[in-house]
Amino acid sequence: MRKTTIAILFILATMVALQVACRKADSVSPDDNPDSEWLSGGSQTAFDEGGGAFSHAFATLPANLLRVHEIGDGQFNATFVSAPAPLNPGLGPIFNNVACSSCHVSDGRGKVPGLGESAANMLFRLSIPGEGEHGNPVPVPGYGDQLQTRALLGKTREGDIAITYTETTYKFADGATYKLRAPTYTFTALYTAMPGNVMLSPRVAAPVFGLGLLEAITDGTILANADPDDADGDGISGKANMVWDVLKNKKVLGRFGWKANQPSLLQQVAAAYNGDIGITNSLFPKESSEGQTQFDSDPNSKSYELTDSLLHSVQFYVRTLSVPARRNAADNKVIAGKGLFRSAGCIKCHKADIRTGVDVSLPQVSNQLIHPYTDLLLHDMGAGLADNRPDFMASGTEWRTAPLWGIGLTQKVNGHTNFLHDGRARNIIEAIMWHGGEAASAKNKVNNMSKTERDALVAFVESL
Amino acid sequence: MNTFIKRSLAVVLPLTLLGLSCSKNNPDNNADNSTLKTEVLANISANVCAASYEDMYAKTQELQAAVTALNITTNDDNLATARVKWKAIRTTWEQSEAWLFGPVESENIDPRIDTWPVDFNALETILNSNDVLNEAYVDGLDDALKGFHPIEYLLWGQNGAKTAAQLKPREKDFLAALTQNLVKLSKEVRDNWTNGYTAQLANAGKGSGEFTTQQAAFVQIADAMAGICGEVADSKLKEPFDAQDPMLEESPFAKNSITDFTNNIKGILAIYQGRFAADGKGIEDVVRANNLSLDAEIKSKHAAAIAALGAIDKPFGEAIVSEQSKVQNAMTKITELAEVLDSKLKPFLVQYTK
Repeated sequence: MRKTTIAILFILATMVALQVACRKADSVSPDDNPDSEWLSGGSQTAFDEGGGAFSHAFATLPANLLRVHEIGDGQFNATFVSAPAPLNPGLGPIFNNVACSSCHVSDGRGKVPGLGESAANMLFRLSIPGEGEHGNPVPVPGYGDQLQTRALLGKTREGDIAITYTETTYKFADGATYKLRAPTYTFTALYTAMPGNVMLSPRVAAPVFGLGLLEAITDGTILANADPDDADGDGISGKANMVWDVLKNKKVLGRFGWKANQPSLLQQVAAAYNGDIGITNSLFPKESSEGQTQFDSDPNSKSYELTDSLLHSVQFYVRTLSVPARRNAADNKVIAGKGLFRSAGCIKCHKADIRTGVDVSLPQVSNQLIHPYTDLLLHDMGAGLADNRPDFMASGTEWRTAPLWGIGLTQKVNGHTNFLHDGRARNIIEAIMWHGGEAASAKNKVNNMSKTERDALVAFVESL
Repeated sequence: MNTFIKRSLAVVLPLTLLGLSCSKNNPDNNADNSTLKTEVLANISANVCAASYEDMYAKTQELQAAVTALNITTNDDNLATARVKWKAIRTTWEQSEAWLFGPVESENIDPRIDTWPVDFNALETILNSNDVLNEAYVDGLDDALKGFHPIEYLLWGQNGAKTAAQLKPREKDFLAALTQNLVKLSKEVRDNWTNGYTAQLANAGKGSGEFTTQQAAFVQIADAMAGICGEVADSKLKEPFDAQDPMLEESPFAKNSITDFTNNIKGILAIYQGRFAADGKGIEDVVRANNLSLDAEIKSKHAAAIAALGAIDKPFGEAIVSEQSKVQNAMTKITELAEVLDSKLKPFLVQYTK
């Protein structure tokens, strides 16, 4: 060995020795090993537990790619206005919000409206019974497949939704009580008649960090966990959604959205621009209002309102947002909670460890052991959570397992703890107790836990 | 303008890990250190952050008074006064963007008061409509139709050369309503801080639900300081510069952009020194107690950034075309400041507050 090598080894050994020598149980650091459970996003993990925790670019992006990320960041925050305008024209004519970041506040989770507030961070999917040519939900005549609750001045919004909650008190086995609020949605201010058989599905904006890593999981890895007929008899099925890919012009595995109804980040982003902001693009070149009375055949609509380069920059932006590291993973209470999370069976759907595939176009997301706490599969969640609106292969009671990584930072980043697809749960324990269907057994185990155990379970989830 | 804080943590991580490893032996971790950390957080939360929102609320009320006077006696003097008052609020707001966290973000106040661009078509539609223009009406409008920039547009006009005689009656009504809405939102931020968030930050690690450790509070502050550099250098300056497009400028009607950027950077020093309305304990004090060279480096990089911005002597929309090397230099100096804050100050604070 050359002397320099020996010197370097000596320094390294000393550093390791120092680290080991002064480590206590509560000071386990995230460098234990590269696959450490602390590193929720593998090597693309960010160490920030503050308000900006969801907004960090991959630390390993070279300068040129970081610049693309920044351009996408600017575009994600860009406020659209009505055309013609020199800057960001094309908003509407009907829309849900004016910028990506208006709903995905700080790249995080949307808040459900308070009493009397408009549903600003939520949107409502609509369809009528039946299946479209690709197995897709059938759009509602005059409305399309989502309710646009806002419109440009001088245009008419499609309508709005009033939300009311009915609160019911329940008891854990130990006698302690908890309350769940069940939402009721009522159409208001509709611009034209809504068919009586319309199906409505409320959705809060989901966090957008870590999506590039989820996209890098191979279909094979996801499908390996699928068990649609519960062949192993453990009570948990796990079904892949198969959805329409606009560019590939065929059905592929769905993995994004509350019902896994979007196949790729590009299509997710393009659909959101089109449906939520009224911005046309190469994947969705028609205004969402086309065919409706308020559609204005503006000459602008002959070309796309969003260039491909900006569309791709936003795709790249969400693809390269890193995942916050866990906190307090070595805390005894958290460790106890982790055991309970496993023994209750939560872990069967909220999968802790997944390895991403290799994508030569972006080594940063390749071959990472990540801890998303999702299997990206559909599960029957029971009647309580059902929206009763099928979406491709997803039935009216099925939802895609939500990733839990970063969930404990929701209060910090977004100032609230509204969880589940419609934000009805006001904290983590409520979200757990809403679980039904395949998750009923796990829920019942939580129901039978002592308060100490429930607290530990929540502490674990909050550490994610 | 919506904010996007983004700094790479590549450099911070390894240093952080070293910092985490041997905290017990850290001589900084004594009682005095603990007192100083508490004093710094108390001063920053009350006398920098909360004080800035108090100041902004007071200044929005002054603007409202000036707009009322302008609407009663519409002359160029009163228009000039209203413009001065608008710029005064901007001074405070832009400085406060160096501590853009907490209620102003989580309550979505930022986009409601500082969205760019203005929706000109909608603005014209409103002015030509018969809608009653009051605060409630403004509150229901989209973000691109309220806050600083529509007010700026009405006070200065598209080319910045508006005279009082050109102010139409509907514009005056809209101006009054916009200003009243700005007063309301400023009060909301002020109240959110004084009625709770100030204490949350001050009591970090001592019962605060928002900041369970003092370290989390210091890291939040350091991230915000570095974050505003990133926004100014990588977005506010760079996007119009790269595109060579004056339309991308932040405060184009008042030609106030360089002042805005300078105040963004000044805010960094304000929170670093714990000095806004009054002078108190700041991040500076913890740095100076341990690392005088880091303190000197931060201050010299900060001064260089301010000087580089000061060297741009044309309105920003012109400077991106005719003073390119000066604009480039400002971006470089601000990025250098960001690097010190991100790769030196933040790891220092992580270790010091462990």
